[in-house]
Amino acid sequence: MSELSYPDVTTYAVPFFIALILLELGWIVIKHNKDGYGGRYEMRDALTSLIMGAGSVISGILLGFITYGFLMFLWRLTPLDLGTSLGVVALCFVLDDLRYYWGHRFGHRVRWVWASHVNHHSSQHYNLTTALRQTWTGTFTFMMILRAPLILLGFHPALVLFCGGMNLIYQFWIHTEAITRLPRWFESVMNTPSHHRVHHGRNARYLDANYAGVFIVWDKMFGTFIPELDEDKPDYGLVHNLGTFNPLRVAFHEWVGIFKDATQAGLTWRERLLYCLAPPGYSHDGSRDTSETIKQKHLARHPEDVGTAGFKN
Amino acid sequence: MPLEILGPMVVVGIVGIALLLRYLGLAKPFQLTGEHTRTAWLREVPNDVPVKILIAKSRQSALLRLASGQLGLVSVMGADTTARYLTDATWHHANKALTLKLPDFTAPHFTIPLEPQEQAQWAALRDAP
Repeated sequence: MSELSYPDVTTYAVPFFIALILLELGWIVIKHNKDGYGGRYEMRDALTSLIMGAGSVISGILLGFITYGFLMFLWRLTPLDLGTSLGVVALCFVLDDLRYYWGHRFGHRVRWVWASHVNHHSSQHYNLTTALRQTWTGTFTFMMILRAPLILLGFHPALVLFCGGMNLIYQFWIHTEAITRLPRWFESVMNTPSHHRVHHGRNARYLDANYAGVFIVWDKMFGTFIPELDEDKPDYGLVHNLGTFNPLRVAFHEWVGIFKDATQAGLTWRERLLYCLAPPGYSHDGSRDTSETIKQKHLARHPEDVGTAGFKN
Repeated sequence: MPLEILGPMVVVGIVGIALLLRYLGLAKPFQLTGEHTRTAWLREVPNDVPVKILIAKSRQSALLRLASGQLGLVSVMGADTTARYLTDATWHHANKALTLKLPDFTAPHFTIPLEPQEQAQWAALRDAP
């Protein structure tokens, strides 16, 4: 079974993405002015997000063969073939979501991977266009390696990529402030707008939390879950926000930063490597802040927050 | 989806949404006030408090003298703001604008509409001990 193919679901979802953006925008325009709640749109920010989304599709068309070739190479190695029954598809979807959790966590804790993912967090807005602000450089993170166990276990590459596409489509609708909280049973199992707002928050409390794609249970299992607190509304964007809407700078700025940092004169090879692989904010002389030091400094200014969500241990 | 359908759909979608946002008045830049400027700076650099703030008449940018003694800039980014230290910035004065160039790939330059009198005030704050 090497000729299996599934539809490219993310491209088929494009009309729905556009329709839902218009729906959210309409809702905000009608409701927002009345009660000041529900989200914000701004033209240049949204335009940048949409161009990043289109660029991501182009990048996938141009570079997708690398990931697919790697996965097909593994597929030829494995003696296992689980087939494509409904149960196998469901199991693949769940395990691929676990793969997404770890890939996403690396995306925030390893600067080489963050360089690709950072653009998704570079908007100071949180609306459905933000969901489309996707990477152009994901292939260069080599995170396709995390899909290897699934292929070697006998899940066909086309099925694994199909599940990855479904995962991304699920995550589209949670990029909104128009939905406050969903029923408790749903919030306890699934990733929701509330949980993902926390993930996009640049508040010290919310840094490095809620990496889930579809099932929030992974964060609860691995100790990275932080609930959204009404008294600490997420403030969206980067710790140091960009001073440009230029999509090329948005797409490549962290790669440029890595290059500049790692090629400074007078560093040891270990320091050069750490500029590539250590958590974002690492510096050889301690002049920058990581999420840990940001939290420590916040607690020094706000000792009343010690022990509260996001500041435990 | 075939590219000949996907391509035009994406282009029309992007252009259409951008035009709609402009029509709805969602392209108006944020206007800085003193309190906004202070909040915008502390949002990004909470440990270095502004001690003097000079807001451009355009209300799109503000120059700050900070408790650390350094200079900072708050600049409007659409409906939001960004903040930068001006430690390594070079200043280029023109008739009706000041351009600040920074060695920063994420914010390489800020062109700030400033009348000559404002430019003199900004230079004075820059040069003040």
